[in-house]
Amino acid sequence: MMRRSHLFGVKGSSGSHAGPVILALGLSFAAALAAQRAPKFYPDDPLQREPDTQDASKVQEWEIGLTPDLVLNLFTKPGDLATNVRAQNINTIDEVPDSNWFTNRILARTVSVDEITRGPNTIEGPAPGKWTLLRPKSAGVSPGFTVRDEKGVVWFVTFDPDGYPVAPTAVIMVATKLFWALGYYQVESYLTSIRPENVEIAETATIRAHGKRRPFTRADLDEVFDRAHRSPDGSYRAVAGRGLPGRPVGGFKYYGTRPDDPNDVVPHEHRRELRALQVFGAWTNLVDMKAGNTLDTVVEDNGRSVVRHYLQDVGSTFGTGALAPRDGDEGHEYLYEGGPTAKRLFTLGLYIRPWQTMDYEEHPEIGKFEGDEFDPEQWRPRVPIAALRHVRPDDMFWAARRVMAFTDEQIRAAVSTGGYTDPAAEKLLADVLIKRRDKIGRVYYSKINPLVSFALDESGVLTFENVSVGAGFGDAPKQGYQAVWSRFDNATHEATPIGSPTTSAGERLQAPSDLPRNDGVFVKVSVQAVEPPHPAWAQPVDVYFTRTGGAWKLVGLERLADGAAAPAAPSK
Amino acid sequence: MLLGTRWRDALVRTVRRIIASAVAVAFGLAFAALPAGAQQTRAEEVGKKQEEKAAVAAPYQPNRFEAIMLALEESFVSPPDGFFPAFDSVYSGGGFTLGAGYRNFFGRKAVWDVRGLYSIKNYKMGEFGIRTPWDNRGRWTIGFRTGWRDATQVGYYGVGNNTSQDDRANSRIQQGYGEIAASFRPSSWTRLHATSAYEEFKTEEGQGRAPSIETIYNQFDTPGLFSNPKYVHSVVTAAIDWRTSPGYTRKGGYYGVTFVDYTDVDDTFSFQRLDGELVQHLPILRETWVISLRARVQSTLDDNDVVPYFLLPQLGSGRTLRAYPTGRFRDRHALLTNAELRWIPSRVGLDMAIFYDAGKVAPRLEDLDFDGMNHNWGIGARFHGPTATVLRLEAAYGTDGWHLVFATSAAF
Repeated sequence: MMRRSHLFGVKGSSGSHAGPVILALGLSFAAALAAQRAPKFYPDDPLQREPDTQDASKVQEWEIGLTPDLVLNLFTKPGDLATNVRAQNINTIDEVPDSNWFTNRILARTVSVDEITRGPNTIEGPAPGKWTLLRPKSAGVSPGFTVRDEKGVVWFVTFDPDGYPVAPTAVIMVATKLFWALGYYQVESYLTSIRPENVEIAETATIRAHGKRRPFTRADLDEVFDRAHRSPDGSYRAVAGRGLPGRPVGGFKYYGTRPDDPNDVVPHEHRRELRALQVFGAWTNLVDMKAGNTLDTVVEDNGRSVVRHYLQDVGSTFGTGALAPRDGDEGHEYLYEGGPTAKRLFTLGLYIRPWQTMDYEEHPEIGKFEGDEFDPEQWRPRVPIAALRHVRPDDMFWAARRVMAFTDEQIRAAVSTGGYTDPAAEKLLADVLIKRRDKIGRVYYSKINPLVSFALDESGVLTFENVSVGAGFGDAPKQGYQAVWSRFDNATHEATPIGSPTTSAGERLQAPSDLPRNDGVFVKVSVQAVEPPHPAWAQPVDVYFTRTGGAWKLVGLERLADGAAAPAAPSK
Repeated sequence: MLLGTRWRDALVRTVRRIIASAVAVAFGLAFAALPAGAQQTRAEEVGKKQEEKAAVAAPYQPNRFEAIMLALEESFVSPPDGFFPAFDSVYSGGGFTLGAGYRNFFGRKAVWDVRGLYSIKNYKMGEFGIRTPWDNRGRWTIGFRTGWRDATQVGYYGVGNNTSQDDRANSRIQQGYGEIAASFRPSSWTRLHATSAYEEFKTEEGQGRAPSIETIYNQFDTPGLFSNPKYVHSVVTAAIDWRTSPGYTRKGGYYGVTFVDYTDVDDTFSFQRLDGELVQHLPILRETWVISLRARVQSTLDDNDVVPYFLLPQLGSGRTLRAYPTGRFRDRHALLTNAELRWIPSRVGLDMAIFYDAGKVAPRLEDLDFDGMNHNWGIGARFHGPTATVLRLEAAYGTDGWHLVFATSAAF
């Protein structure tokens, strides 16, 4: 059997193998023997940071066209066609190490309300005074341009469109804070206002039109302001996004790898933090997920050029688009879906989907965003995204825990940075985010065994926590929990049972008396719920401990094996 | 002998299997016996994969599909100088029309172009134009165009609301023109538009299957028959327009008044007309359905003016009474109403509609009531983008029978 290549100690699913049966058996034998040589756990497991070992200075800028990206994602299935593949950038304890894609923040550590309020921001915003326009905005539909302030800092400026004040810029401010706390690289974004007379045009500023470049003129600038919303005092509200460090080299796709980045070895559809956007996207209604809203930059990191990956534009979130409130179908239906299209076509539109009758408490500064009828499992972005196609219950559980880690206070703090002019709008957005957060926890905690925080103490007591019960989402299993204990051979991957399974009504399980305690030994414990309220909880979580320095260290956690069928569907 | 061959074949197969098994197992053992991999840590294991990729890393090369789509994307957003295909109409009722042109962008947003069109009914047109901004999206739009067109078989059924399709005759209308136009958008929902043109008309015997106009009609029942008026033609429109786009919308409305003045250089066929148009799109249940309504009145202002038959208000075409051919009903005043129930199978590209059109022409304004309306109903599919209708296919049924509509614009 061939093994799928995984990075951080997570083994892959089987692939089909053509050829003579005997030779296949022989090769399987060989592979099996070879696999024995690779230990399941290395001394540095679980990896805390994804290494970038190669120089990426030769990575070149590329352009991912909006249309081909949309067509490919809407009408084909780019990326790996295999299903039920375990995420390949997770470490041995089922977590995502820090990397140039992701930084563990909320849940992994205490994130203060002040930190949430500040988000990725490190300064106080653009320096007061004149701005020098460097170039017009080249992507997106909202009006804007790139400027340099009097301190020489470069800013990407985005305005509210004419006739639609507050909402588009507020969304950028709030979403940036939430996605930063979730762990993504975000653009430093500051709410500001500008008057046209304070913008000068650099002599080098040009605009590309009709295949040619020509100087950017005052008339061009007036046109930008003409498309922006003018406040009664003559100023224009805007978000100033600080220029990113490093050399921009275009966005990233949600599948495959960047061919010229030597450190990019995990197909993006198998990166957990990208799959997790199914859950984070549902929470925030991040419908406009596309390569064009991402950005890679080549930065210096520990003396080496590496590529850093930004979710650059998370402004298409909540109930608001760049130019107007969201259409009702967004977040509920892809731009094109064959089945519903045919049904609507032949029934004169009488085929009604839930979003068409959903009630919204619409506010002009919020748009269509609600939490009462929100169903996280039914949420979808505008176009199918390869990474989301591969999301599994263990990925969604990982993501749901991060969403659930936001306190009401943290959510309200993030929302307060939006600069909403109506307190009712601010309250509405925060209330909806809180409702959607709870629904996400309730749904995804029931889809897989939700035991976390495993520890094995000196007396052989295994402790853990059921996060669903802890969150108050329902009852504990009627008969408690059962653990099957094994000695684990790290070289052969064989598990040898130790004693009989142990059971407990609570979240503590005593190991059998003959639990080995010699240094370097590995122990595997399979913990499952007995008579659980959700069938998925009956599937055991496998945890691995090794004895080191006279104490037990958690080195492995497997909630859902690679290629394993998803647990039974939960009751909603 | 036969049995011996079978035994021999079986023996050969068995030996081959044994050899293959031995080779495979030996290969496996040899592979397994190799010294353990150099990687002693997880970080080294990852580094090894990155090192392997570094050896083959190469810049991305877009495939042919991506390259074509990228080029199309750019040419759509900001078309380049040079030749371009032209999709337009020479004259209503001209049938399928194709053409080509050449354009050059200059200044900040201006363009000049020259284009030619030809239709399957032998209609043809050549035109030179210059305008700014090129995409008509500015607060101000100013343009000039001059050209010549030839409509060889324009249908004429006589004047009045009760004409018969059997009375069709064809006439040929040629028109040379030069026009300046200006539009101004005082706010996002208000529109002002004015044009002033010099136009020379020439009318001749018609071509096509129907008899030529002079074989059925005369100058007493057909005003301006074979006249060749030269006009200074002025139009002023003021409107409130809060549709998403004139090309495609599911909400909003248009309420406009247009004053039209045709001043004949010879003062024989001068006339003035006032048009009023109301359009309202009413979305239902998150735009699951849209009820679209239109009412339009065209009224010649002075009963004593003589209006050439080819400039009379008319009904019948893919944008008026859709089951009737272009110019099916003509008179000095016209009333048109349209109602559509649209449903949206795909919000990104396909609308369907059932529709009902009713209209009437009359010699006097006071006769323009709802009695004796000509009407039709129909069903249609519209393929569209966010702001434009790319293709409208409709089948409409009226008293003249079925009529198919192929159009590249919204009905209203």
